[in-house]
Amino acid sequence: MNLDAAFWIALFFSTLRQTTPLLLTALGGMFSERSGVVNIALEGIILFGALTAAVVVERGEHLLGPGPHPWLPWVGVLGAMAVGGLVAWVHAVVSIKYRADQIISATAINLLALGAPSLVLAYFYGNATNSKEVANRLPLWGPEGFALSPLVYLAFLLVPLSWWVLFKTPFGLRLRAVGEHPEAADTLGVDVYRMRYIGVVLSGILAGLAGAYLAIGFLNQFVRGMSAGMGFISLAAMIFGKWHPLGILFSTLLFGFASALAIQLQGTEILPAVLVQAFPYLVTVLVLAGFMGKSRPPAAVGRPYEK
Amino acid sequence: MLTDARRLGVLVALGGGVLLLLWYLAPWAVPHRLFGGEGVLLNPFGHHLPQGTLPPGYRDGWLLWTFYPSLAWLALTLVLAWTPKPARKLYLMGAFGLGLFLLTLLLFQASVAQVNAGAERPLLRRYSLGLGSYATLAFSLYLLLLARLFSPGGLAFLVRRRGVVVPLFSLLLASLLGGVIVAVMKRAPGEAQGLREALMLKLDLITYTYQLLYSPLVNPSGFLQSLLLATPLIFTGLAVALGFRGGLFNIGAPGQLILGAIAAMLVGVYLPGPRWLVLPLAILAAALAGGLWGALPGWLKARFGAHEVINTIMLNYIAASLFLFLISSNEYKFFGRTLYLPFKYPGYEARSHEIRPEARIPHWTELVAPGGELSFALPLALLLGLLGYLLLRKSLGHRVLMGLVAGGVGYVVGGLLPGPEVSFGPDLTSVRLNGAFLLALMALLFFHFYVFRTVGGYELRAMGLAPKAAEYGGVASGRKMVLIMFLAGALAGLAATHYVLGGGIDEYRLKQALPYSVGFDGIAVALMGQNTPVGVGLAAWLFGILLTGGLQVNLQLGISRELVAVLQALIVLFIAAGGFLPRYFTDPLRAAEVELREERERKGR
Repeated sequence: MNLDAAFWIALFFSTLRQTTPLLLTALGGMFSERSGVVNIALEGIILFGALTAAVVVERGEHLLGPGPHPWLPWVGVLGAMAVGGLVAWVHAVVSIKYRADQIISATAINLLALGAPSLVLAYFYGNATNSKEVANRLPLWGPEGFALSPLVYLAFLLVPLSWWVLFKTPFGLRLRAVGEHPEAADTLGVDVYRMRYIGVVLSGILAGLAGAYLAIGFLNQFVRGMSAGMGFISLAAMIFGKWHPLGILFSTLLFGFASALAIQLQGTEILPAVLVQAFPYLVTVLVLAGFMGKSRPPAAVGRPYEK
Repeated sequence: MLTDARRLGVLVALGGGVLLLLWYLAPWAVPHRLFGGEGVLLNPFGHHLPQGTLPPGYRDGWLLWTFYPSLAWLALTLVLAWTPKPARKLYLMGAFGLGLFLLTLLLFQASVAQVNAGAERPLLRRYSLGLGSYATLAFSLYLLLLARLFSPGGLAFLVRRRGVVVPLFSLLLASLLGGVIVAVMKRAPGEAQGLREALMLKLDLITYTYQLLYSPLVNPSGFLQSLLLATPLIFTGLAVALGFRGGLFNIGAPGQLILGAIAAMLVGVYLPGPRWLVLPLAILAAALAGGLWGALPGWLKARFGAHEVINTIMLNYIAASLFLFLISSNEYKFFGRTLYLPFKYPGYEARSHEIRPEARIPHWTELVAPGGELSFALPLALLLGLLGYLLLRKSLGHRVLMGLVAGGVGYVVGGLLPGPEVSFGPDLTSVRLNGAFLLALMALLFFHFYVFRTVGGYELRAMGLAPKAAEYGGVASGRKMVLIMFLAGALAGLAATHYVLGGGIDEYRLKQALPYSVGFDGIAVALMGQNTPVGVGLAAWLFGILLTGGLQVNLQLGISRELVAVLQALIVLFIAAGGFLPRYFTDPLRAAEVELREERERKGR
């Protein structure tokens, strides 16, 4: 059992890569919950985003012929963001306009994400489990050997940005007000429904981005069930991070580290891989059980607002 | 704003327009179909799309005989809808339309039978009515609905039945959207000349897809298969519904099912002993393991306030890891030391050893006809048990006890009675329906008695409706939460008995193919069934039918089975949104307002 420096360096970069989708999704979940809407559909939205990114890029290559198209992956990223936002908008309509139980509505979207991709894959590729591999992945930025996907940089950049948006802009103030006390915000002339729509759609866009990262940044194809609970883990990380961008950064790093450790331990003789894979899920349960101090959710979260 | 009677007229006119369009565009009957869905489409406007050929002697003149009366019926309906006091007349027209549909069906069947009678082998085998005829049926039902809605107290009548209206309307909406998905995803077979034929082919494709989806209703082996697939759904549906009743959302049914399967396997493989001991113990072990796995998030919520939704989901993933750990290898390395496990069956595939014969739940043929003779044990036990329960007029405990005793007596007497000899064809015996189906029915009864007939169930419902009030009323909510999740988990764990002990997945053992995602389908079942035992039973059966039919759709049309999963998800989404119906269908307060208003109107008149 000798773990050399290469192991730790690999673990560090693996942590960054594993953290990225969690961070993107958790920040999205933060915007949604700060506006007062629980979005458990993030898990499914990641899948829809990943599917869109993979299919758009692969179809693009199909149309344009092989060869490097450096802009093509970015089209896939935009498509994933658009579809993510759209799916989140469905959740928003059902839970804001029709006042559905937010968890049931989101669960429906997650169920949809279990079945619908198979139909799309069968339509394009004639199989139900994965897409064709794409040649044009997202590029890697950085020095040789230490290069990372641009979405990794973006995710970590979004932390200070979303902190600024949430706490230093009028928009952020309104968003938080709507999630804490919608009646009061309404009295002051804030459009509660609009702010909530924005919060939910924003969370969908970010989760779609996370999906694009998985499909064409991390891998180069869509695989069924590739999100593997990341959406739920992100929500746990968001709670652990107390609905605050900085807290979320640290909590997602913890989860990213857990996943990275699980990956790096595979193939070693330390722990069996099938058990190590359960590690992040176990951490989630422990974290939710309150090994974290009490955190207080936005007061109006989960409650439909009625004028 | 339109007045009431005029609104009715407009609604009838709109429906009539759609009907007329469908009559023109859609095929009325398909006497003959090839394997890929290609068929001979008949339409009253002289249109036969020559996809395949009809055998000589087939007469389609009947079509005109039903079409022109139908046209006259529609015209009369449209006129009557604009006369004063139209509601009662529309009832009549609706009933008349149903008659017309029956007439169409009879004439069509007769024309097919005529061809088949002359031949040695049936020449026309895949035949059915088309969307045009079904549209007549749908419009008749629509007329009946409108007539009820616009007669006094109609809206209140519908709103009172919102527990049925919302799921059915959601099913309808999901089916419409599913039809659009099919039309987009699948090219219709056959060559179309012009837009109208292309539309006709698409409409026929959609109709045929749904005919296949519901085909288990009319074919015996499909029927048994639908009961087989409904069995685990009843358990998981109840597991979710019990949580809902108590104000908890149990998404952990897949994990609870896995733990149940593991426990059933451990007892079934490793516990020696006679059948009367091992089988009940294996079933109990499944319930207990599932229950404990369910109680865990309940306890975490009660003790730490951790939300059960994310915890149950995480426990699903952990259970899946545990499951793989047990059956994927016999040898693991822990910190360089090797651990040997006895659970995996030797060979390439990840699976456990086989359950001992003593621990297996009997196949349905063994229950219905042990030794080739029809047994009266089960029906008699059921009948006497029911009579014993219904006839005794004492406390609930006495009645249940009496029912059980009478059922036991019926079982013994029925088992001793000689029965006639029967034999089933291979298509029926190959369906692996087993005694777990009876367990599922008992679970439905248990749910009913526990939730609606006991103090514990009253407390449970009180907690679901108003947790704070329940706590103030003396419910120990923390302990209750753990208990609810334990019972829900036990129900989900019992679903595993069907797969492992009943051989529901072809083999009596734990396999990687264990379809634990039926735990998620339980959510759709519970919502569709509105958390009542009868509803859950029917919803599970509906999904059992769709899943069985989905196989036919895949086989004959090459459309992915996941279509059914998409339909389920859409149903959940639409039910969550109250079927996009007006608020008084979802909000009990507003529903009461509707009833009050209608009552006042009736008195005012």
